[in-house]
Amino acid sequence: MHPRERLPYSPIEGRAPLRLPKGVRLVVWPVLALEEWDMGRPMARMVISPPQGQPMLPDHPNWSWHEYGMRVGFWRLRKVMQKLNINPTVTLNARVCETYPSVVKACIDSGWELNAHSYDQVPMHKLDDERAVIDKSMDIIEKFSGKRPRGWFGPGLTQTFDTLDYLSEAGVEYIGDWVLDDEPVTIETRHKPIVALPYNFEIHDIVMMALQNHPSDEWHGRALDHFDVLYAESAERPKFMAIACHPYLSGVPHRIGHVERTFAEILSHDGVVAWDGSKILDWYLTEGRMRDAA
Amino acid sequence: MASPMIPRERSDYSAIVDRPPLKLPGNARIVFWTIVNYEVWDIGKPMARQLLPAPTGVPLMPDVVHWGFHEYGMRVGCWRFFELYKKLGIKPTLAANARICEDYPRVAKEARDAGWEFMGHAYEQGPIHKETDQAGMINRTMDIMEKFCGKRPVGWLGPGLTQTLETPDLLAAAGVKYIGDWVYDDEPTVIKTTRGPLVTLPYTIECNDIPVMIIQHHNSDYLLKLVMDQFDRLYAESAKRAKFCTLAIHPYISGQPHRIKYLEQIYDYVNRHEGVLHWNGEQIFDWYRGVAKTEAAA
Repeated sequence: MHPRERLPYSPIEGRAPLRLPKGVRLVVWPVLALEEWDMGRPMARMVISPPQGQPMLPDHPNWSWHEYGMRVGFWRLRKVMQKLNINPTVTLNARVCETYPSVVKACIDSGWELNAHSYDQVPMHKLDDERAVIDKSMDIIEKFSGKRPRGWFGPGLTQTFDTLDYLSEAGVEYIGDWVLDDEPVTIETRHKPIVALPYNFEIHDIVMMALQNHPSDEWHGRALDHFDVLYAESAERPKFMAIACHPYLSGVPHRIGHVERTFAEILSHDGVVAWDGSKILDWYLTEGRMRDAA
Repeated sequence: MASPMIPRERSDYSAIVDRPPLKLPGNARIVFWTIVNYEVWDIGKPMARQLLPAPTGVPLMPDVVHWGFHEYGMRVGCWRFFELYKKLGIKPTLAANARICEDYPRVAKEARDAGWEFMGHAYEQGPIHKETDQAGMINRTMDIMEKFCGKRPVGWLGPGLTQTLETPDLLAAAGVKYIGDWVYDDEPTVIKTTRGPLVTLPYTIECNDIPVMIIQHHNSDYLLKLVMDQFDRLYAESAKRAKFCTLAIHPYISGQPHRIKYLEQIYDYVNRHEGVLHWNGEQIFDWYRGVAKTEAAA
């Protein structure tokens, strides 16, 4: 289905506001992404290109750049999250359960929500059988954790016109790939409707650090600018702020301090809470239904 | 058929130091020209801009994520713009794909009712070189906007400022009076077309959030710094001759929460100065045809 068939255009202006529980005006949605970069393929992102600039396989330098995130960066981020009492949504390639089981186990032991992020870090367009990969990803994570994921992120947020239908069939209740609104929206599929939670890819460490090459402290600068406006607007209607972290980027020594102070400063405001995707979804399923019925 | 004119045939070289100064009315010395861009990104095509290429960087279609990125500007970001310009009492130029009148009538109506100037900006977002019937597309764009606004647009901006050699002739034939695509002067100029003279207004590709934020990846506050620097110099020079400071913005970029306050601060800064007019393109054109006595005014 064409995206417009799944969701009609709706301006936020004039839309009835949703209501968060008493005392809450802005919800921060921390997202921590865990990936598997297969050495047999080009690496998902590159921090350094080979001499003369031509892509080379195997790409050992960038593979090890990512691997650092799983060996060291993740554990550093976990300490920060625990210190600030934040339970992020962990979106993971299902294959991470096979290659880095101790990392996934640490997430489960911390009570963090697991969200499916395909099997490994390959665009959905490149899969021979999208439906099978979606089912397999959901099954592996369910088997490993004892709980079927409720949410999904496409690798690199990629989707084809069919992806949402397969996701709904596989039991996915919410996605983060649609960055088109400040509020959750309900989108049609050929199966059951899915909720798109208000994600964004500007407050996102890959976009800011690996693609736009900002200085490390811009992690904090842009996030606080973003927060200031949403917080002011949240006096009139609830606002949501997703923040996306990858261990190989946000878990490195020169950025972790900026990550920590960003979360600490934002969460020190009255009426600001950190919820995972599952909790935002549960709230929206009740509140959104009430609004739309009104 | 004669081959179309190259730009030099349309406009002789002219040094600004050799030209008599233009004079704005009263004590005004500089015009601040705001251009807001509202577009339609068709999901059936590659998206106009990309923030997050797919893993391994290969372009893939459909590109739902960037469709959503742009759609945010129309669902949320543009309302931050409407509120700002209402508060400031500014009626900017709206460079809009004509298709917004069909796909986003709520947004187009808001701009029309707020008195914004509608400027032709192609039917939808894609380089004009790729149009199979450029004249047809231009006329259709102008007709749709005329029907929607009750008034034919006076100005035109190519999508991504693109033009082929024929474009100025086709625009003049469609009734366009001024264009913004020639960023080659600090002042309006008159260029030749096969259908009479056409005015170019001093538009900018630098004080524009697409290059600054999406292509050059500057920090959120950098557009403010850039425009302040641009304005300071033009303002100093405007003691001697009329100057124009132009700003082009898009709701999916400058309408993002982390950037909007810097856009607001641009106006706070500019408005602290004496002799600043907030005119849109049509107002600049109307003034210019008076002082330059150009036939394009006829």
